[in-house]
Amino acid sequence: MGVGSTSEIRATSELCLAVREYLRSSEQAVRAATFPEETIARILRYGEPVASRIERYHRLDRCMDRLRQLIREEEEQGRVLPAGTVVQAGRLDRATGRFRRDWYAPAGGIWLAMAWPDILLPFFARLVPFAVGLACCETVRQYGVPAWLKWVNDIHVQGKKIGGILCTTETGLRGDRYYLLGIGLNANNSSFPDALRDRATSLAAETGQEVDLGRVLVCLLAKLSWNMGLLLHEEANALERNGRQGPFSAPLLLQQWSRLSDTVGRRVAYGFNVEEEILYEGVAEGVDDQGGLQLRLDDGRLVTEVSGELIYRSGG
Amino acid sequence: MQQEVHFDEIINRYRSDPYDYVDIFAIHTGTVRFLVDEGSMIQGPSGAWKHIPGTALYEINRERNPKVITSQTNGQVASINKHLDGRFVEAGEKLLTIRHPLKKKEIIEAILQEVLYLFPAPERARYYFAMDIQSRINQKGARSVFIQPGDEVIIMSLMKRDTPVYYDGEPGIIHSVYFKPGESKNQGDPLFGVCAQEKLPLVQKIITRVKAEWE
Repeated sequence: MGVGSTSEIRATSELCLAVREYLRSSEQAVRAATFPEETIARILRYGEPVASRIERYHRLDRCMDRLRQLIREEEEQGRVLPAGTVVQAGRLDRATGRFRRDWYAPAGGIWLAMAWPDILLPFFARLVPFAVGLACCETVRQYGVPAWLKWVNDIHVQGKKIGGILCTTETGLRGDRYYLLGIGLNANNSSFPDALRDRATSLAAETGQEVDLGRVLVCLLAKLSWNMGLLLHEEANALERNGRQGPFSAPLLLQQWSRLSDTVGRRVAYGFNVEEEILYEGVAEGVDDQGGLQLRLDDGRLVTEVSGELIYRSGG
Repeated sequence: MQQEVHFDEIINRYRSDPYDYVDIFAIHTGTVRFLVDEGSMIQGPSGAWKHIPGTALYEINRERNPKVITSQTNGQVASINKHLDGRFVEAGEKLLTIRHPLKKKEIIEAILQEVLYLFPAPERARYYFAMDIQSRINQKGARSVFIQPGDEVIIMSLMKRDTPVYYDGEPGIIHSVYFKPGESKNQGDPLFGVCAQEKLPLVQKIITRVKAEWE
């Protein structure tokens, strides 16, 4: 089922406009407390491609599959898929998480994926999952729900997952690479399968009332636009300061991420696929300037991890 | 026949000098202070996840930021550029050489690495085989899996973003695998070695002969 109907197309263009309006009004005002006006304008410009094209569906198997199809279709026409193209669906029938884990995506949630061309320097490309997680967490907090980020980008409320991110890379037939950034946010979907009941929550469950899904989507896309813009702004700054050889850093993005993360200070179990195998336990001591998680092991050694997952063992 | 001669040459080289000489360089500019002497015995990293660092080799201090560099291998300090002790050095300056005694397994591996096409890790990240390759490995073993340029072979996981990595070497079978699924590898570390099918008998011969002849 596609964008097919006229009403659907109108809704799509209205959504694009609503995101721009949100950025101009709400987002700009919120960020004014932290950033100078000139910087805000620059970040907003960098983030502008986000949601420049949106496809909305009542139902899909997977949003990422549709993005892959769009990449192929554009290439067949001799074009490239515009940066920031978003595919959103009311529900997903065959959603999966990392390691092909089942992802429950019924009606009432926000399910989307965005394509972004691989044009970032490797240092900044590795921080894309941080930017996406930050956008998602900020959206939840906009509703007064005290969500936190668990390194890298699990969004939880008191240990219950409220949102998840899946980041992959897709290479087109001509060799162009895209990041595919999948986001799932539990909004009005408050009932979960038995296996997830104690581990998942939603905006509706946390606030005690249903939320306007359209508004949540606008807010999320605006936050995504801001945070992708912030990452690009950091890259531009670093290039201006130090040229292509670096050294690079992204202090603004990582500061914002750290402010919303509750990982540092906790005792954690670490694993590449932590649900399958725990490799070791330690205390999260910090996040380095490349986003690596520094873990202090029981024998006093410090290990830095650049990928993998955590289970919290205790509070901070 | 030519392959045989080459093979004998390689074997004899390891027989006459069964050591690997590992040069250690300054990791960046700074003032160097050596923490070992010529002849010192040194250890590589240890512990279940190799998380216990090896012997401290030298300290390098740049802008009051001292960094201790530890050994990645065991052996003996064969030579040391003592005149650099306490001096400011450039990045990449050779500081010392470690003589690492090779075990039988390492000799086989070293010989294989001269013969196989080694596919390097593009970045420091965690790696696993692409699903299709992994299921073929599970079914038949790595040495039955044929790959060619353009095949999606590896998934690189960096900050929970998974990136498919495409093979760009010579066609052949996956002969040696140098990582476990989900293992962290440094940029440039070989992930697996590929052997062209016509070279396979030679490679098998190398392994058999080293195993048989090496004490």
